[in-house]
Amino acid sequence: MGAYVLRRLALAVPTLVGVTVVVFALIRLVPGDPARLVLGLQASEEEVQRLRVELGLDQPLPVQYARFLGRLVQGDLGRSVVTGEPVTREIAARLPATVQLAVASTLLATAAGMVAGVISATRQYSWVDYLVMTVALFGISLPVFWLGLMLMLLFSVHLRWLPAGGYGTPAHLVLPTITLAAFSVAIIARMTRSSLLEVLHQDYVRTAWAKGLGARAVVLRHALKNALIPVVTVIGLQFGGLLGGAILTETVFAWPGMGRLLVGAIVARDYPVVQGAVLVFAALFTLVNLAVDVLYAYVDPRIHYG
Amino acid sequence: MRRYGLPGLVVAALLAALVAGADGPVGAQSVPRQLRVAIGIDADRLDPAEQTTTTIANIVDYMFETLVDLHPTKQQIVPRLATRWQVSRDGLTYTFTLRRGVRFHDGTPLNAEAVKFSLERLKDPRVAMALRFLVQPVQSVEAVGEDTVRIRLNKVTPTFLSDLSTTQFAIVSPTAVQRAGDRWRSAPVGGGTGPYMFKEWRRGDSILLERNPNYWGKKPLFDEILFRVVPDAGTRLTQVLAGDVHQAMLPPAPDVKGLRRNPQVKVVEAPSDRVIFVAMNTQWGPFKDVRVRQAMNYAVNKKAILASVLFDLGTVSDSPCPPMMFGYHKVRDGGWPFSPTRAKELLAQAGYRDGFEVNFFTPTGRYIQDFQFAQAIAGQLRNVGVRANVTTMDWPSYVAMIQTPLERTRIQMLVLGWAWPVLDCDGVLYGQFHSSSHPPRGLGPAFYSNPRVDQLLDQQRQEANVERRKALLKEAQEVIWNDAPWIWLWSQKWYVVTTRNLDGVLIHPIEKWTALCEPQEPAVGHHCVNWR
Repeated sequence: MGAYVLRRLALAVPTLVGVTVVVFALIRLVPGDPARLVLGLQASEEEVQRLRVELGLDQPLPVQYARFLGRLVQGDLGRSVVTGEPVTREIAARLPATVQLAVASTLLATAAGMVAGVISATRQYSWVDYLVMTVALFGISLPVFWLGLMLMLLFSVHLRWLPAGGYGTPAHLVLPTITLAAFSVAIIARMTRSSLLEVLHQDYVRTAWAKGLGARAVVLRHALKNALIPVVTVIGLQFGGLLGGAILTETVFAWPGMGRLLVGAIVARDYPVVQGAVLVFAALFTLVNLAVDVLYAYVDPRIHYG
Repeated sequence: MRRYGLPGLVVAALLAALVAGADGPVGAQSVPRQLRVAIGIDADRLDPAEQTTTTIANIVDYMFETLVDLHPTKQQIVPRLATRWQVSRDGLTYTFTLRRGVRFHDGTPLNAEAVKFSLERLKDPRVAMALRFLVQPVQSVEAVGEDTVRIRLNKVTPTFLSDLSTTQFAIVSPTAVQRAGDRWRSAPVGGGTGPYMFKEWRRGDSILLERNPNYWGKKPLFDEILFRVVPDAGTRLTQVLAGDVHQAMLPPAPDVKGLRRNPQVKVVEAPSDRVIFVAMNTQWGPFKDVRVRQAMNYAVNKKAILASVLFDLGTVSDSPCPPMMFGYHKVRDGGWPFSPTRAKELLAQAGYRDGFEVNFFTPTGRYIQDFQFAQAIAGQLRNVGVRANVTTMDWPSYVAMIQTPLERTRIQMLVLGWAWPVLDCDGVLYGQFHSSSHPPRGLGPAFYSNPRVDQLLDQQRQEANVERRKALLKEAQEVIWNDAPWIWLWSQKWYVVTTRNLDGVLIHPIEKWTALCEPQEPAVGHHCVNWR
């Protein structure tokens, strides 16, 4: 197992280098001049040119890339064009908020989604099943910004129970978590339902029923455990995606996370921040995927990593 | 019931904790300890010299002060950290007397050396001062005594006093700057003399200021001011309605109409110096002919668009320069007249009886209702046979397009807004209509050239006599107006929404708004924020 993890980590390095090449090239392919954007329309051309030189933007692209890589291996992601602060500091300031929201949403989505999925599968074609699956359909279809604004209108403006956006106390976490989890709840519920239904029709489940086991033991211990692999995969993918920043949710709820940092950096053509943030996302995503693969072995003892 | 008893209790306890943890509703009659203001963007830097947006400069203004202020309503220069000043007869030497007994937040006394340090710092290339050209005229700064400063200029600069009133020229504590070092631009601790002091900046979330107990002027009303970064306009408005914040900048424009009638809140709105226009590339096809450009002006019904698309958040332009600026001259009362018949006549005279096709660019979400009014304009142009195809793109690409030189430009017609940190017509006229402003050197996308205008604009920059300078600016405005390099539209308003208890929030024409005393000098009649 240890060797397997090490090998996977080593394989992540070329992936991440590939990511740097693509991001580096993409952000420079779209039009826009970071120096002009940061100094504004009223700044004189001399001043803008001076900043271009200072940022090294006057150098050929391969030279810029080599410099970027050279600093990267020393753990230096450069400085933000907009704030003049080290990119690592910018990311460190935003990462906790993102992780907090991603973890909270994933926990909520997993709990709610699996419960709904199990209820739905065990009562297939009943009105409960239809109700749960209809609600799930809404969860997938509702635009995040609309759901967020509606929740705020209800819980902040009318009931005044929860703050309308912002960051800091646990109360601030509630609405964004629900908003962000809505989509994942629906996906996880549907995945749990279909996966569990497949298992419930297998022979060993019939055997379990025939043995006279209670419903709880049959469904949760025998069936669900074997239905978990696709569900774990989906949860992993959702979590990885959420770590990549939930841009709309963060914007609607004024949540100071990575998604807004990245979008802001793209809009300002803040090259170092875009590169740094995407690299961090890629690394996190790789780690989550690895964790999911390792988890398979625990969920299903038939899976072995040599 | 028994089975779910425990989880049920946990959920109830959690909910109770969450509700208790939320901030209590705002709206009590007593002055709140903390004033909370929702702003749309996070700060880039907090060093006054490195300001690039009025929104952030606005926050910096609570902490830092300049030598002189621009009176928000009388548009004249009034004292701030300097109590008196004299200008030499040749207009090249300015002598300032500093206010006595003022200390920076770190305890350092305000003196001539601090002023010298602050102004000389602006020339340091390590300080990213976007508007560095404003300091170019400063030749030397000399500390004559403890509280006397003499500034010598290398050329006559009629706007110099106004320039000194901009945030970039704020006076900073030399000891605080040196102590902060690399962290100065993100945490300017102890550096200013203003009514509030820097406390904390949580990136992407908020900026917190606290009361300066030793402030020289009127004591600040609130213990703390929290600026909350809320990028979505709808959320900012929701926060005011929910009582989470007391004030929010720029709620969604389509909501303003309803908010004006809502007794729970107040909409504070005022004209700004940002002129919104459609620049025509005067060196492209049909627009080379002045009659075509005038026809375009006749074809657009500014008043109707303002009323129905902008919710009256603008004032029709009646000159190339907006009204609150020095040198403004009203060229045409009520703006360029709306007359499709006259437009068609002019187009026919110019040989475009059947109109023509033109590309028309606009940003989205940069100016009030920009994409929407561009479509309204295109609709009205169609009535006179001009087929304008509206295209939009993201702001960085837009700016890159404007910066393209004439030989390669795609611009035929585009929407742009122009504002200037100093209330002087020079900013808009020189920056857009002098032939040195053609892209890529400048950002005047009309590629307008008129030797007479160049001459007038150059002369007024050298003219120390106020009346003669006004006359030069007046003639320039008349010539430019009739040459019609733009479709003259409007200057847009700046607006904030506040809870009804907050009184006296003031909007400056330069898109700033403050809950302070403005100006701080009571002798010139100031105006302070209050809680009712």
